[in-house]
Amino acid sequence: MSHAAVEVETAALSVNAVTVRFAGVTALDGVSFQVGPRAIHAVIGPNGAGKSTMFNVVSGAYRPASGSVQFKGADITRLRPYRIAGMGVARTFQNIALLPHESVEENLLLGRHHLTRAGFVTTALRLPQVRREERRHGERVREIAAFMGIGDKLNTAASGLSYGDQKRVEIARALCVEPELLLLDEPAAGMNADETAAMAHLIRDIRDALAVPILLVEHDMGLVMSIADRVTVLDFGKLIADGTPTEVQRNPAVQHAYLGTGDDNGSKGG
Amino acid sequence: MTEFLQLLVAGVSLGAVYALLALGFVVVFKATGVVNFAHPALLVTGAYATARLTSTYQWNFWLALPVGIGGAILLALGIQRFLVYPMAAQAVTAITIMTLGADLVVRTEVTREMGAVDLLAVIDPWGNHVIRLGGVVLPVTRLVALVAGIVLITAFFVWFKLSTWGIAMRAVAEDPETAALMGIRRSRVAALAWMLAGGLAAVAGLFLIVFPTPGFSSTTYVAAIVAFPAAILGGLDSTGGAIVGGLVVGLSVTLAQGYAHQLNFLGDNFYEVMPYVVMVLVLLVRPAGLFGTRELHRV
Amino acid sequence: MSDTRLRPWYFTVAGLALLLLIPLNKDSFYDQFNLYFPLTTQTFWLQLGLYAMAMVVAALGLNLLLGQAGQLSLGHSFFVMVGAFTYVVLAGAEKNTSTIHWVGLSWPPLLAAICAVLMAGVCGLLFAPVAARLRGIYLGIASLGLVFVGRHLLLNVWPEFSGGSNGRDVPRFELFGLKFVTAPDPSERLYLGNVALGREELLWYVFLLVVIGAFVYYRNLVKGRPGRALRAVRDRELMAGIIGVPVARYKGYAFLISSMYAGLGGVLYALAAPSRVSVDEFGFILSVELLAMVVIGGLGSARGAVFGAVFVWCLKPVLNQYAEAGSIPFLAKPGGSGLEPGVAATFIYGAALVVLLLIEPGGAAAVGRRLVRTVRRAPAGPAPNNTPNQ
Repeated sequence: MSHAAVEVETAALSVNAVTVRFAGVTALDGVSFQVGPRAIHAVIGPNGAGKSTMFNVVSGAYRPASGSVQFKGADITRLRPYRIAGMGVARTFQNIALLPHESVEENLLLGRHHLTRAGFVTTALRLPQVRREERRHGERVREIAAFMGIGDKLNTAASGLSYGDQKRVEIARALCVEPELLLLDEPAAGMNADETAAMAHLIRDIRDALAVPILLVEHDMGLVMSIADRVTVLDFGKLIADGTPTEVQRNPAVQHAYLGTGDDNGSKGG
Repeated sequence: MTEFLQLLVAGVSLGAVYALLALGFVVVFKATGVVNFAHPALLVTGAYATARLTSTYQWNFWLALPVGIGGAILLALGIQRFLVYPMAAQAVTAITIMTLGADLVVRTEVTREMGAVDLLAVIDPWGNHVIRLGGVVLPVTRLVALVAGIVLITAFFVWFKLSTWGIAMRAVAEDPETAALMGIRRSRVAALAWMLAGGLAAVAGLFLIVFPTPGFSSTTYVAAIVAFPAAILGGLDSTGGAIVGGLVVGLSVTLAQGYAHQLNFLGDNFYEVMPYVVMVLVLLVRPAGLFGTRELHRV
Repeated sequence: MSDTRLRPWYFTVAGLALLLLIPLNKDSFYDQFNLYFPLTTQTFWLQLGLYAMAMVVAALGLNLLLGQAGQLSLGHSFFVMVGAFTYVVLAGAEKNTSTIHWVGLSWPPLLAAICAVLMAGVCGLLFAPVAARLRGIYLGIASLGLVFVGRHLLLNVWPEFSGGSNGRDVPRFELFGLKFVTAPDPSERLYLGNVALGREELLWYVFLLVVIGAFVYYRNLVKGRPGRALRAVRDRELMAGIIGVPVARYKGYAFLISSMYAGLGGVLYALAAPSRVSVDEFGFILSVELLAMVVIGGLGSARGAVFGAVFVWCLKPVLNQYAEAGSIPFLAKPGGSGLEPGVAATFIYGAALVVLLLIEPGGAAAVGRRLVRTVRRAPAGPAPNNTPNQ
């Protein structure tokens, strides 16, 4: 199923000429692309190409030197990260960023922060509205945990989980934010072929269940080619291709920079 | 005008002492990442040992001084080897708080050894002699402090930039993992850093107990704590910053003390809090100190 | 078969009952039953307990700031001092003699106490933007600056507030007409059964109420949404922001609440003082002691804070008491030879700090949890809302 290029007006997420510089290095150089409202959009490229930097710009951790990011029509370029989360942008992290000593449930509940209101006075007094809120959101967290297959591990400390389960918790936490845009940072990292296939299914299921756009950074070409609706390729901070997986695969610049010359389908990139 | 010049010279010489003190503190931080709250204890140990040996046991000063410095170095090495090194796996905050505990222990031990005595005067070869240089009156001890400071600081930087161990230490400070992969023994570098800290602190301590101060007492410890604001305002990970920080603190304290009359709307003895006021003012403008590196956030 | 397992709340109830009965544990109580009990409560212990309770409240505040939010503050004693002296100035009477010049507004003590806590909170809020810009040890030493500058201000610039180096009298507490003093005439005292309730006894009950309130408040915060957000800020600040926590705002909240706790501790401290408070009681040393209390007790743990505060605070007076009586061989009697109790106390908690951090960084709370687990032979679950990032 091919997806035509997304117009800026209908895009859920619109990245426009974003440039990011650190200490003399240009991590992103005038990158622009649009993510369609229900698309699974992959960003690929060799290591150091700027993929995680891109994520950090979208989630508000970095401020670009120039350019802008629009989400649902609003300019989120200079917003604080928590405000962006409040608009429904949720992400996972490449190196698992869970709180290791806290239980899975506590980690997931953190994702509900922007949806809850219990404050420093109301919580301490254990007012009824706080208790109601805790119950409601606790149930939702359990629902999401069950959907992600970790429902039985809610009381385990995050550090006690396997790597695969920790990745699930990461994604579950992002889902707890009730996202309208999901950013997945290398969801298949460290996984074998079977696990990667399962992850691909999961990502598609999430997109189908929530009807939200998913932007993912990935090295695993098999995953990308199988589920991505559109692919953006970065190299040395510049955008070198943007199109459907097939288009990108055939693009000589991409082949040269990243895929190598020949049949490297399904193998993990550098 | 001569008054200002006088204060300037006095301030710079005091600044040299604080620079030595701050430098040792920063060297340990750069080489090991540990904020050494036991640094004042190192100063106090060296100063106490020297004072005790020359006054009570009547040792020759030039014999007592190396022993005093050696004592501080040994203490530093002991803390590094037996307290800090075993905690290597733990969070830096925990190690920092542990050094606070070590500082308490050493300090109380020195207090105990002082016993009923409040003040221990050190018998040094310079006494209370002063020299006059064109209208400026400077205690000889302060002149010696200035010279010693310049010599030691220059020697340190030459060593740091050029010698094998100095380069090793800079490598560890910049990228510990790569340094280890290149064959640099981090534990050796750490030990060296702590030894340097002990030595520099002891020398600084000497100059804090000779003329014009009456000798070693409980206020010596209070003077030693000035190392913290000096190092912080220069930037905790900058050796150059430590020197600048020490000089800034020395100058500002001396000037505040000298112009106390004009500053008396700020309260009596305002010069005592001068280091902290200056530090906070610097931090407001540069949150990582004058030459400290700002953190680069990577998720 | 009935379940005879020891439940935690048995201990809580027992502990509370014990605390309530301590002031009543007097000869006069047992006399009415013609009983004799050798271990009665002397005023010394009540007085010590009052101070310890003040420190518990201050330690809980530091625990919120350091244990939960991960902000290293060495300036906590500054906020304690603000609380104490604001109370003294607001509730105290003006006094002008040839040697003394004190400013005082003679407000009702309860109002003064509440305003003192708010004042400490305001100071905390004022410092918060500075704190937000500083990281780690820079914040720690900047907050140390607060202690020194604050001390200088109260001692040298505003001696009319603080009484200068001699300190000033603390006005007696009064609540709805009940004066918290020990009336010299026994017939004028308040009695519970046979037991006369003097200043220390009355204050004990008020303090107990305050401490319990502070404790429960802390516990509820830690278990709920605010605690969760603060711990996320502590362990993974960048992630916390991206997940939706307003980081700078929460750091500000942490400073606000913790400085109010400190201020409340200061008010209690002033009330506990038999006659005077002076600026030198709230310096760098107190900041270090508070830090030791929180770390020895176990960072983040409320029960740990209680243990740590009691342990560190009571060491010196207890050693002093027993040294005077000559019961501890190596400790010096006043003026005598040997180790001075004050020095010994500092040594002990300093060494405790070192040893604990070497072998059990979770402090007394972690030791306690381990003991309970061994007794119950249960496997370790996730750390209960408090262990900081290793």
